[in-house]
Amino acid sequence: MVLTMENIPDTFDPKPRKFIVWLFVVSSTIMFGGFTSYYLVFAASKGKGHGLVLPDAFIYSSLVILASSLTLFLASKALKKLNFSLERKLLWITMILAIVFGVMQFNALGSMVRTGATLVGNNAAISFIYVVSGVHLLHIIAGVGLIINALAGSYKNVPAAQSQYKMEIASIFWHFIDILWIYLYVFLLLNR
Amino acid sequence: MSTIALHDEHTHDHADHGHHKETLISKYIFSMDHKMIGKQFLITGIIMAVIAMGLSILFRIQLAWPETNFPFLETFLGKWAEGGRIKPDFYLALVTIHGTIMVFFVLTAGLSGTFSNLLIPLQIGARDMASPFLNMLSYWFFFMACVIMMSSFFIQTGPASGGWTVYPPLSIVAKAMPGSGLGMTLWLVSMVLFVASSLMGGINYVSTILNMRTKGMDLWKMPLTIWAFFLTAILGILSFPVLVAGVVLMVFDRSVGTSFYLSDIVIGTDILPNEGGSPILWQHLFWFLGHPEVYIVIMPALGISSEVISVNSRKPIFGYHAMVYSLIGITVLSFIVWGHHMFVTGMNPLLGGVFMITTLIIAVPSAVKTFNYLATLWRGNIRFTPAMLFAIGLVSFFISGGLTGLFLGNASLDINLHDTYFVVAHFHLVMGSAAIFGMLAGVYHWFPRMFGKMMNAKLGYLHFWLTFIAAYLVFFPLHFLGLDGVPRRYYAFTEFEFMKKWLTVNVFVTWAAIMAALAQVAFLFNFFYSIFKGKVAPQNPWEANTLEWTAPVEHIHGNWPGEIPTVYRWPYDYSKPGHDVDFIPQTVPFSETMSSNLPHDFEGNEVAERIQQDWEKANPVTENKG
Repeated sequence: MVLTMENIPDTFDPKPRKFIVWLFVVSSTIMFGGFTSYYLVFAASKGKGHGLVLPDAFIYSSLVILASSLTLFLASKALKKLNFSLERKLLWITMILAIVFGVMQFNALGSMVRTGATLVGNNAAISFIYVVSGVHLLHIIAGVGLIINALAGSYKNVPAAQSQYKMEIASIFWHFIDILWIYLYVFLLLNR
Repeated sequence: MSTIALHDEHTHDHADHGHHKETLISKYIFSMDHKMIGKQFLITGIIMAVIAMGLSILFRIQLAWPETNFPFLETFLGKWAEGGRIKPDFYLALVTIHGTIMVFFVLTAGLSGTFSNLLIPLQIGARDMASPFLNMLSYWFFFMACVIMMSSFFIQTGPASGGWTVYPPLSIVAKAMPGSGLGMTLWLVSMVLFVASSLMGGINYVSTILNMRTKGMDLWKMPLTIWAFFLTAILGILSFPVLVAGVVLMVFDRSVGTSFYLSDIVIGTDILPNEGGSPILWQHLFWFLGHPEVYIVIMPALGISSEVISVNSRKPIFGYHAMVYSLIGITVLSFIVWGHHMFVTGMNPLLGGVFMITTLIIAVPSAVKTFNYLATLWRGNIRFTPAMLFAIGLVSFFISGGLTGLFLGNASLDINLHDTYFVVAHFHLVMGSAAIFGMLAGVYHWFPRMFGKMMNAKLGYLHFWLTFIAAYLVFFPLHFLGLDGVPRRYYAFTEFEFMKKWLTVNVFVTWAAIMAALAQVAFLFNFFYSIFKGKVAPQNPWEANTLEWTAPVEHIHGNWPGEIPTVYRWPYDYSKPGHDVDFIPQTVPFSETMSSNLPHDFEGNEVAERIQQDWEKANPVTENKG
């Protein structure tokens, strides 16, 4: 008795998987919503926020991550025009910018430590800055993973539809974590 | 017909489909087939349910006979039951882990994981999930979560014991009680894996339902099971991440020494350094997940009973659209009621009033569903299959447990009832027993679909009646304890004068619980025996309309040989007047059922309406009696 079935349509349909990335974006947004609402309720009930002047490094890292979004956007445009060498170059630049962003985040937190605003202390609002920027950095690591995935697709000459798909999920996620950081930064600026 | 033609000339351009050198490992262990993953979830869920039930029997023994020694307990539990009596710390661990396992591992993963995985692709007409790989990961994360949770029974200090809601400071300050140490750490690790699992699952379900329905399957032709799984998954996606946020902060408090939830704590003469945090904030974050979570538990069960009740009443579900809108209503409302768990935390009375109103409004969609179940049963041609009995049992528990929700949702009454056995009685009926009965209805109903065999109906009846009666005997008396002010989670009723009079009731309840546990043996035997030795199931044993019964009984990867069937009608055309049999599967086009078509079947399609009118003129109804 043979029971195998071979007529699964083999066309590659990226739509449901792209949708998965979107749903992940939604749930991640909700998580940060949870964090920031902790902060709002905390600040309202205690009558105080973190009360710091945020380190300048955060401004530069914000500019860097904005720039990385731009280069990723240009990379995906290059891919659409089938200009693969430009696409690869731009993807590499995006990745370097991502790493620079990570380094600057550590810099910023380091300068906070030097001023005495440490993770462990009697103001949870200051600890909060470390926690959210740390969780955001985890997202950056995942985002770099997706960019590497897109790069690998570009070098391995996978079918056009698939490299397009890899580029698209990397873009969705990367632009999301870019906006997410800007949101967190502005949130921290506004709720001192 | 036992052979399906092979044609092997395809080329596969990606790895998810099309690998057919199935080994034992790829078929049974790291399977990416949604049907197998559904079975993995079910069997793991059943094992966890048996464990959690065993824990409940242990603490029920303590509650009934707090002064008696049971040497066998020491044999099993060692120093946690020295002299044959369960220690207070271990008693707290028992109730904590019982709650955690039942809520998360059985009624969330065991229920949604099983039936969403099994039924979503089969009922909407898809080959598999949007991402079979993520689906496989979802199961294995769940499995690891189970293993880690159980491993806390094998450490010196025992499992987490601050209650399933793990309120700080008990859950954070390691010195607070034995279970707050390593046991609590394991609890948190296990829950992180669990949340990851349920997010991967939920995201997959939503994407599959929205993107991969077969031709003709528009949203309003989906069975109510699919609607329920869909909205449940959305609830999970929107609420579990908030728990993650809360847990991350808790982990920092425990391991790093931050003060998100802690302030002004003194242990003995030790003053802890933590300052400035607030434990109430944990309660907010926890219940923002925690309340939707109880709907994550009950909604799949409601969806399953809608389907089972309609099929076995041989009637269309009453108020299909109302059923969907009430599910949507419950979904939306569940996000704005979490404060009713916190009425006694010193909440602003105005805020309490707001939460009270939103809470009581949930009674409306819930009542709509209840009345619709009853109206579906009304004058139906009822077939009392075991699945049907369990579905009706769900309706019964949903009503009797739901009524007490009105008392607890009332901010002023809750001041009296909060944290008493009244609460225990309420939620064990409305989400515990009801959801378990929905799950069991699903198991009996779709067992033929899962294993190609039938379960024994007589054992099913025995299982139902014993469980149904025992569940009421266990939980109904607890209301009266609660009204008398007996608090939940207290170790020994003999320690308090006003609680002593309830000891005899506790003995009664414990015997009833033991009867309920023994009744499950009938189920377990039936389940595992029928997998191997059950009667072979026919293609469509319950004469149901939905798509899963059109797929071959033999499981094949991809579900249907050849084309995926096209859908022409809603799933509830039972006993349609004018048709010769009492069900019309979704795959039957209207052109084959001219004698039973109704004007609204065509949804305003004028050409189809004209064809129907022409046919009716040509075939006038001659006999219209009977």
